[in-house]
Amino acid sequence: MELKVIENATCTFCGCVCDDIELHADDMRIHQAKRACILGKSWFLNHTAEKKYPEALIDGQPASLDDAIQVAANYLYDADMPLVYGMSNTTCEAQKECVAMADLLGALLDSHTSL
Amino acid sequence: MQKSKFLPRGRKDRTVVMVDIRETKSAKAADHFLQVRPGKDFELLTIMRAMIKDQEISEAEVAATGVSMEVLRDLIDQMKKAKFGVMFFGMGLSMTRGKHMNAAALLTFAAEMNAFTKFVAMPMRGHGNVTGADVIMRWQTGYPFGISLNRGYPRYNPGEFSTVDVLVRGDTDCAFIIGADPGATMPKPAIDHLAKVPTIVLDPHVTHTSRLSRVHITTAPAGIAAPGTGYRMDEVPMPLKPALNSPYPSDEEVVRRIKEAIAEKPDWMTNQPQMIESQV
Repeated sequence: MELKVIENATCTFCGCVCDDIELHADDMRIHQAKRACILGKSWFLNHTAEKKYPEALIDGQPASLDDAIQVAANYLYDADMPLVYGMSNTTCEAQKECVAMADLLGALLDSHTSL
Repeated sequence: MQKSKFLPRGRKDRTVVMVDIRETKSAKAADHFLQVRPGKDFELLTIMRAMIKDQEISEAEVAATGVSMEVLRDLIDQMKKAKFGVMFFGMGLSMTRGKHMNAAALLTFAAEMNAFTKFVAMPMRGHGNVTGADVIMRWQTGYPFGISLNRGYPRYNPGEFSTVDVLVRGDTDCAFIIGADPGATMPKPAIDHLAKVPTIVLDPHVTHTSRLSRVHITTAPAGIAAPGTGYRMDEVPMPLKPALNSPYPSDEEVVRRIKEAIAEKPDWMTNQPQMIESQV
């Protein structure tokens, strides 16, 4: 397994978004997060590339991604007042897709800011 | 702490004032600590707004907030003398009595301080990219959060369209949760409603919310195995540099695919108008 070093990586655990982290990683996990704080270290070191969970769950049962996407789309479309919420631990690109989806649905749209 | 051209002595050139209902660890790191009586944030902010303009305040009104007149006078004096002030605020302000009106009072206070010196207000963020969510929603809809699109155009009203209120009242009949775990953090009536309606969760882990949801989709963790952009608390965008290759798809890809699946269905505005005809 090859060890790679990523310079100036960005930590998205908290709102500070430090961008001077040095990550040492192999294919499976991150071994070192230099200059990260205690929260950042646990954030980087606790995520792995393992397949720990099924790709999707429908009613608690493992399901395929394609089925889950279809079922999710049906629930959202059938609802009179769907809610799109969260968007904090994700990328701006995904957030943009969420806004577009909420627009298509005529949904409520909200983030952690309202808390 | 960072030294700069205007603050050559670093922390020594800065003043931190902590306002809280109890003396926390952060209070020890601050230069001054103001203990405000619980539920009196709005009153304290309104009194301070009056005091910066030298308006008359009764001693009794000040005493009710738990802070003395001398302390407030001294604080306002220091604030006016500052070259650049920042008011950081968190959930203690927006989740107690008065809710978003407390935040509104603080924002007005910060705006009014600019008659004397440069002042800004900044919400303290708990999670990674909440600021990004604000920025993206502002860019796309014109409003930062608490938005309803159910008339086909965006409307903004925190208290009515904010999630906790919507869930506690039981207004919504389907919830799509991404990058959040309300099942672990929200008040119980809100969680009960999430369990009642079909809930869809996108998360790198099977969370508390996933356990009460109908659909859970595992996604790659942003910034660790998924690329993209994240906003720092002071609204500076940062590129994310993923170190791992995840076996799961990114949030972006899954949301786009759900959106495309919805787009294939007939438009709801013409087919399922959300209005009661007799009331129009």
